[in-house]
Parts: sequence; C-alpha cells; structure tokens
Amino acid sequence: MRNWLGPLAFGLLVAVATGYAAIAAIPYGLMNVAVDRLGQGGINRMAYGNLATPERQPVVRPSPDLAYSTCPYDLSAGPLAVDVTPVPGRYSSLSIFDAATDVIFVRNDVEAGGKPYRIVLARGGQAVPKGAEVVRTNYDRGIALIRLLLKDPAEIGALDAARRQSSCATVTKLK
Amino acid sequence: MKSWHRYTITLVGGLAVGLGAAWWMTGSGLSSGAIVNGPWTTSLGYGTKATDPVTRAAVARAGLLALPAKETVYWSAKTDAAGGPLDGNCRYRLSGTPLDARWWSVTIYDEAGYLVANPAKIWSVNGANVALDARGEWRVTIAPTKPAEGAWLPGAKGQPFHLTLRMYNPGKGFRADPKKAALPQIVKEGC
Repeated sequence: MRNWLGPLAFGLLVAVATGYAAIAAIPYGLMNVAVDRLGQGGINRMAYGNLATPERQPVVRPSPDLAYSTCPYDLSAGPLAVDVTPVPGRYSSLSIFDAATDVIFVRNDVEAGGKPYRIVLARGGQAVPKGAEVVRTNYDRGIALIRLLLKDPAEIGALDAARRQSSCATVTKLK
Repeated sequence: MKSWHRYTITLVGGLAVGLGAAWWMTGSGLSSGAIVNGPWTTSLGYGTKATDPVTRAAVARAGLLALPAKETVYWSAKTDAAGGPLDGNCRYRLSGTPLDARWWSVTIYDEAGYLVANPAKIWSVNGANVALDARGEWRVTIAPTKPAEGAWLPGAKGQPFHLTLRMYNPGKGFRADPKKAALPQIVKEGC
C-alpha cells in the first residue's frame, strides 16, 4: 500500500491541475465552437439568422422572441467596423463578446437615441480611422450580436429588411 | 506491479477526475446564481468581467452570449412553487402581473437548455402577447395539450422542462431589490 502514496498524491495533483485548466478553457472552447457554427456564412460579415426553432439552435437557450444577427469576427487582418441601424420603436441591442465570452460592449436602441451608429473593434495597437468610436479588445476572435425583439415570430417578414441595414466588415480604409 | 504502472494509473485517474469535476462544477447552469426569488434564480454577474472562472464557464455552458444585468436579467426555474421539478406531463398555471421591465418573456426549454419540437410551434410567451384580466393579471397554461381557453405554452410529454424568464431593461425599482420583485408564479394544477 505504501507504494501507492506517491502515485496517489501525484494523481491528486493531476486532478486539481486538470480541473483548473479545464474550467479556464471551457469558455474559450465554447466560444470557438459558436464562432465556427455562426460563421458558416463567413467571418467578419453579418449573418441574418432565421428565428430559433428546435431544428435551428446554434447556441444554448436561444430566444424564439429575438431575431439574432451575428457577426463572428477575427481581427487578425485588421479592425472590424460594425454598423448598426436601430429599428424604430423596438428593443434592439448590439453586444460584442470576446474570445473569453466576456461582454466588451453593449448599446441598445434607446442609448443610441434610435440613430444609426458605427463601432470600430480593434486590438490594442491596431490603427483605426480618425474620429471613429473605438472598442479595444485583447483577443482576435469573438462575436458581435444584434438582438431585435419581435412581438410575434410572424413579424420577421416585415422587419427583415430593416435589420439587414446593419452590417459588419473589416476596416480597409483608415482615411 | 512496477512503479511507473502505478503512476500511469493515477495519471489517467487524475485526468478523468479533473475533467469530470470541471464539467460537474460548471454544469449547474444559471441556477447556481446568488439571487433566489421563489422558484426563480439568477445572478447579476453574467456577462461581466467580474465573474469568477467557475461562473464564467457555467454561463458559457448554460447561456453563451448572455447580456449583462443592466440590459437583461435572466431568471431560471426548474421547480414549481411547491418545490417539485417541472414535469412536461403535468399542467401548470404560470401567472403574474406585468413585470418591471421594458419587455419580458418566458421561454420553455428542455433540461439542457434547448427548444423541443411541438406541433403548435410555441416556445414562449411575452409581455406583448399575454392578455391582462380585470385584476391586471396575465395567465398562461403550461401543459402537453391545449387548454380549453387562454394562452398556452406547450409542455413536452415524458420529459422535464426548465423555464427562463428574460427581463429586458429591468426598471430601477426591480434592480434595487431583485429578491423582492414580483415574479410570475408557477403552480401545479394536476398531472
């Protein structure tokens, strides 16, 4: 039995280290999966997803009351510009999540005064257009998400054109 | 048995225990939050950098891309008012007064947090589509079959369910004391 003391202590250390590492890695892993799943329409462009149904649930706990437009981003080629046009009289919000799943920016339609706005998302040190409203992040990858609230799923037909006025793209001109 | 055999066994065991513990510790979902109000639980720390690694991992598993509390408060219920687990075979009365928020909704999910197919294609009720009675209350029946009258949220026969209550832009009064806020009641009426 004494032969097992060393190995058991070692196993305990391995268990604790593995547990800590796994807990720290879970958010990054799940965010990566979400970026890949939502990014099938392309990275750094807005996908105007269909409403959540049992057949279409790219992330856990999707709300069937929300039209989600998602922009999975990768800043390795440069900053990202997100253009948002709120839909009058509706709750909508832009939220930007980083690779660690932290929210690094949120603005809803009321805070935006119902007016269109542009956010430039950039890594520290990346050059950005003059005068732009800039959000800095420590990671290349993540998801920018626009939620638009529907009173009824049938409303999506009438509101789809309005939500397609919001977009995202890599910043190419710094002018 | 050689010494390295023993170390290999405990290495594999340690890895398995570590991974299992990590999964278990982060699997309690949104209900591991600190705030309890009847059958509803939440944490106001979601989506902020202040959350500890375990909470962050739990939120990533249970509600990835969740908004911070100022924007949306997510309440989760796994039991009825009497403490019994929510059962898709049973009939429940979900009722309350309009909530202190710009918008609210209640959505039904399976235990893992996903929508389950139902013929009516209804998975949620919200402040815009529930009717208020003379006393200013709304009422929804959660049951596997459509009730004779009133709003219906279909439960899936043969499986338990969870409810998520979303409050968008909750009011100041609510945020001052979420524990005492008037939240919807979940009362079992029969099975």
